[in-house]
Amino acid sequence: MQKWFSAFDDAIIQRQWRANPSRGGGGVSFTKEVDTNVATGAPPRRQRVPGRACPWREPIRGRRGARPGGGDAGGTPGETVRHCSAPEDPIFRFSSLHSYPFPGTIKSRDMSWKRHHLIPETFGVKRRRKRGPVESDPLRGEPGSARAAVSELMQLFPRGLFEDALPPIVLRSQVYSLVPDRTVADRQLKELQEQGEIRIVQLGFDLDAHGIIFTEDYRTRVLKACDGRPYAGAVQKFLASVLPACGDLSFQQDQMTQTFGFRDSEITHLVNAGVLTVRDAGSWWLAVPGAGRFIKYFVKGRQAVLGMVRKAKYRELLLSELLGRRAPVVVRLGLTYHVHDLIGAQLVDCISTTSGTLLRLPET
Amino acid sequence: MLGFLSARQTGLEDPLRLRRAESTRRVLGLELNKDRDVERIHGGGINTLDIEPVEGRYMLSGGSDGVIVLYDLENSSRQSYYTCKAVCSIGRDHPDVHRYSVETVQWYPHDTGMFTSSSFDKTLKVWDTNTLQTADVFNFEETVYSHHMSPVSTKHCLVAVGTRGPKVQLCDLKSGSCSHILQVVFAGHRQEILAVSWSPRYDYILATASADSRVKLWDVRRASGCLITLDQHNGKKSQAVESANTAHNGKVNGLCFTSDGLHLLTVGTDNRMRLWNSSNGENTLVNYGKVCNNSKKGLKFTVSCGCSSEFVFVPYGSTIAVYTVYSGEQITMLKGHYKTVDCCVFQSNFQELYSGSRDCNILAWVPSLYEPVPDDDETTTKSQLNPAFEDAWSSSDEEG
Repeated sequence: MQKWFSAFDDAIIQRQWRANPSRGGGGVSFTKEVDTNVATGAPPRRQRVPGRACPWREPIRGRRGARPGGGDAGGTPGETVRHCSAPEDPIFRFSSLHSYPFPGTIKSRDMSWKRHHLIPETFGVKRRRKRGPVESDPLRGEPGSARAAVSELMQLFPRGLFEDALPPIVLRSQVYSLVPDRTVADRQLKELQEQGEIRIVQLGFDLDAHGIIFTEDYRTRVLKACDGRPYAGAVQKFLASVLPACGDLSFQQDQMTQTFGFRDSEITHLVNAGVLTVRDAGSWWLAVPGAGRFIKYFVKGRQAVLGMVRKAKYRELLLSELLGRRAPVVVRLGLTYHVHDLIGAQLVDCISTTSGTLLRLPET
Repeated sequence: MLGFLSARQTGLEDPLRLRRAESTRRVLGLELNKDRDVERIHGGGINTLDIEPVEGRYMLSGGSDGVIVLYDLENSSRQSYYTCKAVCSIGRDHPDVHRYSVETVQWYPHDTGMFTSSSFDKTLKVWDTNTLQTADVFNFEETVYSHHMSPVSTKHCLVAVGTRGPKVQLCDLKSGSCSHILQVVFAGHRQEILAVSWSPRYDYILATASADSRVKLWDVRRASGCLITLDQHNGKKSQAVESANTAHNGKVNGLCFTSDGLHLLTVGTDNRMRLWNSSNGENTLVNYGKVCNNSKKGLKFTVSCGCSSEFVFVPYGSTIAVYTVYSGEQITMLKGHYKTVDCCVFQSNFQELYSGSRDCNILAWVPSLYEPVPDDDETTTKSQLNPAFEDAWSSSDEEG
């Protein structure tokens, strides 16, 4: 189950919930709105069950604007089972990253409700018809949700640190922390890649870590970087002919020489410019010139943030506490940036507790 | 459920729908049950399990002590509490027992009269179940990691064997005597072969997974090379750079075809599981998240069969993770073993899962049923005695 908490509004939420217990349940079933009233774990959950069963409870659409820092619900709570006391699954749109930081991977201690979530899909044709047009596929967020996630994460990238020479880079694992279903996120990113809006780049330190860059940003930065250098011509030819045509992460020898007509000397120019990195004999990864500094800061920052969790007692930290701490000097890219990456890469487990999200190092 | 039953009765829906829906519901309710047990015979970790495909009644297990045990899974006692007893075993005192750890056992696909076992002692042994004697032994130059015999083939009796060497070897059971190994060597992998699996759809298609991060699909009739090398990035296919295609970023440990043979699942030591389209080798890009995998040898996982959305059961450390195959969602983690789980098998007739681990236990995961409705009071207090034995005097204190 994924409960979207506000790490920063917990106290406010609890007060609101207690004042208005009747607001607790009904909203989520009928609207897409996040129910921040139910941010904290077990006791509110139990209260909500009878509430949800009452069909006369009016949807709380009207409160959308009034809620402090309220986010809209993305996707739907789904046709999650109501006949058992499973807590519902509000998935909300992250219009405000600040208030709802990590909807992607929070899981509760008890996963057994999830089994029941699939049961009505096999049995419950009746239930679905009752919900009607309010409901859409629970696993798919809004159609642009990966795109929105990428845009939001780009805001977190510290442009000033690299003097604007580097395009803002976002990692795939960070997108997973915002979009709950990984397969859907992958497919949406692939669509964006095919449309030519983003480029995916292999970051050298981990074969699995892919960086996502907007194509426009990439193009402008690369042109600026190679301005006046001897390899400028080859780079411009590459950007003009190869980039729009081939959306892959890597390029092969015969593809470059035959399809696009690059000579070996030009390919050497491209490698010198930092646009290509050697992968194997006769194949190259697409790369970002000047990304070495970014990767260095990133790796060090990731280890530092992981170290903060590791040094904590019992190797677990509340998310709110981690974000409230002062970042060590090594962390240049920002704590939130790294925390998104850690959660999405499953280097820490996200557990929902009554005090908020808890990050814990996995035992294995 | 009642809706399904009445729809089936009136003919509105296909009978298969009810079956699939009920199977899915049962799989979603898998858990440990105090009433079901498997007898503990092994003294070492259990490396492999296999349930015979004919009846789903007998299960073989192979352990790292070289012992092979045969269990009867059927509950013929009238009680709910049942221990799956070992029918027979090939223990350390058997003259033909494997010297080192048994890595793979497999029933003969067409009947239970025969089974095969392969082990680190560089042999593949073919056993006769009734006499528990070896019918045949194939010797190899390297330790054997895995073997598999085609479950659907009627045209050939080839057993594919993956060893520490880079070549996959095929042994022919029909012609094989102990001196003659039909050796069709397929070059192509560069390191040890950790898993092999025949396709359940086509007789001659074989998939092999190796420690060099590659998974190759072969047609065994074609001697010239592999059909496809799976590429995780789905790049453009070109013959010249087949060598750069990797299926995983680490060793590929386990292979499993889905029951219809259209998709292939692979797990690797890069903690990823991938789903491939087995006809064109395309990565379907279903993302299961982190699937922890530290196994140095093969990891045996399994796919459910007969449910409306298939599930894959993967050993994940000391638990078993359950995912839906086509959407990548994690359903649950089955916790129960004390140490690393090495293998699991699914019994599709009753939707039960059996798993073996290094703590020498085999656990049975059974669908949780509804609580039985308690009987009415009158029936329980009724005496079970035969009327001839009932005492005739009244129990009243006032008389006499």
